[in-house]
Amino acid sequence: MKRLSTTITASLAFAAITALDAQAQGANVPGITNSEIKVGSFGPLTGPVYIYGKLTMNGVEVYFNKLNQAGGVHGRKLVLVREDDLCKPEGAIAAVKKLVHDHKVFAIIGGGCSNPTLAARPDIEKERIPFHVFAAVADGIVDPPAANIYTTQITASIESKAQIQWAIDKGAKKLAIVAQHDAWGRARYEPMIQDFKRRGLQVVADEEVTVDQNDGTAQALKLKASGADAVMLLGYPKAAAVVIRDSIKIGYKPLWIGQTAIQDLPALQGLIGISGALADFVSITTVPGHPDNPQYAEWRKLLKDTFPNDDLSVFNLMGIAAAEVFGKVLEAAGKDLTREKFLAAYNTIDNFKSSIYPGPITCKGGHKCNESPAFVKLENNNVVFAGTVALK
Amino acid sequence: MTLPVLVGNRSFLALLFGVLLALPAFANQYTLFVGNLMLLYIILALGLNILVGFAGLLAFANAAIYGIGAYGTALLQVHLGWSFWAAAPVGAVLAMLIGTLLAFPALRLSGIFLALATLAFAQATQWVLWHWQSVTFGAGGFRVPPPDFGWIPVKQDYGIYFVSWAVTLGLLLFTWRIMRSRIGRAFVAMRDGEIAAQSLGIDLLTYKAMAFALSSFYAGVAGALYSGLLGFVSPEAFDLFQMIIQKAMIVVGGLGSVVGSVLGAALLVYVMEVLREFKSTQEIVFGALLIAFMVFQPHGLVVFMKRWLPGWEEPLHLAGGVQSTAPGHDTSVAGATSKEHASAERT
Amino acid sequence: MLMFSYLMATGITTGAFYALVALGIVIVYKSTEVVNLAHGDLFMVGGMLAYTCYVMGGIPYLPSLLLAVAGAFVVGILTERVAYRSVLKHGLASVLVATIGVSFVLKGIGRYIWGGKGDYLAFPPIVSPEPLQFGNIMIMSQQLVVLFAVIVVMAALALFFKRTRAGKWMQATASNPKAAMLCGLRIDRIYMYTFAVGAALAGAAGVLMAPLTHLYPDVGFVLFIKGMAAAVLGGLTSIPGAVLGGVLLGLAEQLAAGYLHSSFQDVVAFLVIMFALIFLPTGLLGARGLRKV
Repeated sequence: MKRLSTTITASLAFAAITALDAQAQGANVPGITNSEIKVGSFGPLTGPVYIYGKLTMNGVEVYFNKLNQAGGVHGRKLVLVREDDLCKPEGAIAAVKKLVHDHKVFAIIGGGCSNPTLAARPDIEKERIPFHVFAAVADGIVDPPAANIYTTQITASIESKAQIQWAIDKGAKKLAIVAQHDAWGRARYEPMIQDFKRRGLQVVADEEVTVDQNDGTAQALKLKASGADAVMLLGYPKAAAVVIRDSIKIGYKPLWIGQTAIQDLPALQGLIGISGALADFVSITTVPGHPDNPQYAEWRKLLKDTFPNDDLSVFNLMGIAAAEVFGKVLEAAGKDLTREKFLAAYNTIDNFKSSIYPGPITCKGGHKCNESPAFVKLENNNVVFAGTVALK
Repeated sequence: MTLPVLVGNRSFLALLFGVLLALPAFANQYTLFVGNLMLLYIILALGLNILVGFAGLLAFANAAIYGIGAYGTALLQVHLGWSFWAAAPVGAVLAMLIGTLLAFPALRLSGIFLALATLAFAQATQWVLWHWQSVTFGAGGFRVPPPDFGWIPVKQDYGIYFVSWAVTLGLLLFTWRIMRSRIGRAFVAMRDGEIAAQSLGIDLLTYKAMAFALSSFYAGVAGALYSGLLGFVSPEAFDLFQMIIQKAMIVVGGLGSVVGSVLGAALLVYVMEVLREFKSTQEIVFGALLIAFMVFQPHGLVVFMKRWLPGWEEPLHLAGGVQSTAPGHDTSVAGATSKEHASAERT
Repeated sequence: MLMFSYLMATGITTGAFYALVALGIVIVYKSTEVVNLAHGDLFMVGGMLAYTCYVMGGIPYLPSLLLAVAGAFVVGILTERVAYRSVLKHGLASVLVATIGVSFVLKGIGRYIWGGKGDYLAFPPIVSPEPLQFGNIMIMSQQLVVLFAVIVVMAALALFFKRTRAGKWMQATASNPKAAMLCGLRIDRIYMYTFAVGAALAGAAGVLMAPLTHLYPDVGFVLFIKGMAAAVLGGLTSIPGAVLGGVLLGLAEQLAAGYLHSSFQDVVAFLVIMFALIFLPTGLLGARGLRKV
């Protein structure tokens, strides 16, 4: 009797542990069969920053669906396998290991949060699985470059430098920074401080905001007291809105320079509430114009068909844009697909005119495919192109 | 017919640790990584249960102390060039020392007030990790070189796994002994009635300090292993979410039960990995499961195990819940303390 | 001097946020001796329901507010019946984990229904979004609305607990459930309505504060932490204590951000609490009692 119950418990435990070990019988190249290619993705699907994972992946899926409707890539349909990393380092490592060893995907398009992606980078390099970064901006992910990692997101250092350059181009004399100091914010803040040093420029005010802060009066008062005429905004929409709103309240109106997290200008305007708040505001953008513009009508429809609860957002478009480049590389890699051929095919992307990214995409010769920040501003409630900068 | 005592909590533990030991032989890298995390969580749960389940101190600082252990170990390696084997014990002891300081507020505060004070400490710790950039590298985290396993006769890849396994087993046996000794009994006496305990000659400061010291040491050890496992340390791994998961583990397993800690930790880690299949709706399912656990087994799974596995003993299990209130209120909301206390403690 | 006036004013208005959340926490605690860790998510539910009615559905503001509060009330009843009822008698730790479960469920549902619409949803204020002049400083009109709400709720709750029978029943249940049962009180019902009223309060707070906090599934989290801190600072059983705690925390944050550095804004609240609890272990206005043996 004792042996029986011990055996039962043993078998149950064994079964439980091995259930974690789900496998697919692999072909010679993992993730590929004659009819499909399994592509993995990791990023936050739950937790406070889930939009960077979930919505971006939704965009990727919409693009893959479109490709599949047209017959796939060389006759193979693309299947997206998502894994949640909870925006935590151990979550990303677990997600990557699961994608590689359990799901046995061909390649990964993902990376929603900077820290977790950085933490998982050694594993990704070791497995030599192609990895296309679609949202995370930390420079350390592709710098120093790894043979199997490419990004089509403008990295944080490029954005931060561009913000400073814009201010200088516009003749600002006293520059200030308002930044979140979480992992996301630091990825941008540190290169920005370094660029200030490189130029020998002083930061007249350096204030911190937190993601959930409901009132920016203290920051606004300090900025006003410093006399800054241009402020680099390194924050998410809520933090940015709160600082701008309370600056208007105390009568402080500098040139605000934002980055890709606050590129949805109408939405930001809505959060601030006060009309004309963004009169003197520019932001770097991944997406020229606004998701509501007619040029994105096709994507809007495709998204609504697949995800009826959602409205087309910048994050969806980020995913679509990254997937478009990814799809082109797959196409160029040919029918006889291997990981090495896929990685080599990145070199065929040279001055590619994406249907979404404003600047040219060039993966040939470097792993940062997108190095052209474009700025937008709000004019009569329309998002219009405001210009670019030449980065020295 | 009575069953021999061998079916019970001891055989469960033997089985679990046996399977975990054999894991590298048949599991892939993903499963191995999850198994390693499970071992870390077992350590954390054992420590937290000592504090909350046995000593009755509702503290919310464990995740922060975990972080101090990880940061301590990693920073000694990165800033001072120490090896992992030298840095880990020092990191764990550092965590222990800082955690023990929390015993002082614990003398004056109880229940929700202690919970909040320790929570405030935890948030302040996160703030320090974010802002003391010259030392901690801020919110962006930093990379740690991998430990050198050359001196252990195993594959480099498996080194951290076997070390974690051995440490976990060691701490488990240590916990078992302590909880059955005078110290364990003093903790439980303190939990079940501070004033009565004092009248028995139990000095509250000493034993509260010991409870914090023990749980902080465990958390520090887990933190050291964490830094060795991931090779990357950053503050968000030690936030409130982590604290909540640890709390859930010991309550689901059973407060005041050594095996309950192991059970709760192993089960929740397993559940969280299985729930990956639910993708974005994971949170809903996980929340529903927690509710279900509490509705059906509010005192932990050990109650279930005790009923169905006759050899399963839980002499110190808290069937009544932790003291909830500030002085001045009747503690009957805390429930009747278990009848288990009345039964003789079998060895 | 102007800066000081602004910081004081902001301290009071953000303190009012924390106070409104804290009041909901206190009312639940006074009756059940439990802190509902899902309180922040109920806040979010109220705000999101109002968003659906008012912004998406075009229903006028006042009915939307009432619908949202009613919705939160219903959610409160549901969570009590499903998750808390059988767990309440089993001790604090189990209840806390049950509330944690509810919190995950509500957040997950929030993400599922509203999450794809954008990262932060804007909610129009009741009155104009333009700031109003008060002496030599400006205040957002919605902040005054929240401040007013705090005063109204505080007065209403104080009256409720002191003067009405229901209020006395709740306090009796908290003080000694068994004795309350012996006196014929249906403590099951009392617990249920307590959680429901707490949820309704959270929902109302969510709607009133939405124009300033914006709406997203995690909006309740930080507010809950600060609100709980305010409630505990105030003594957890004291209604004026919750308001006092909230205002003190708000002031501490703003003054530290203004006069030290903005990076201290987030941590000051916790430092204040740690020190306050050392000297006043049951909070500022909490019940200082003898310990029962």
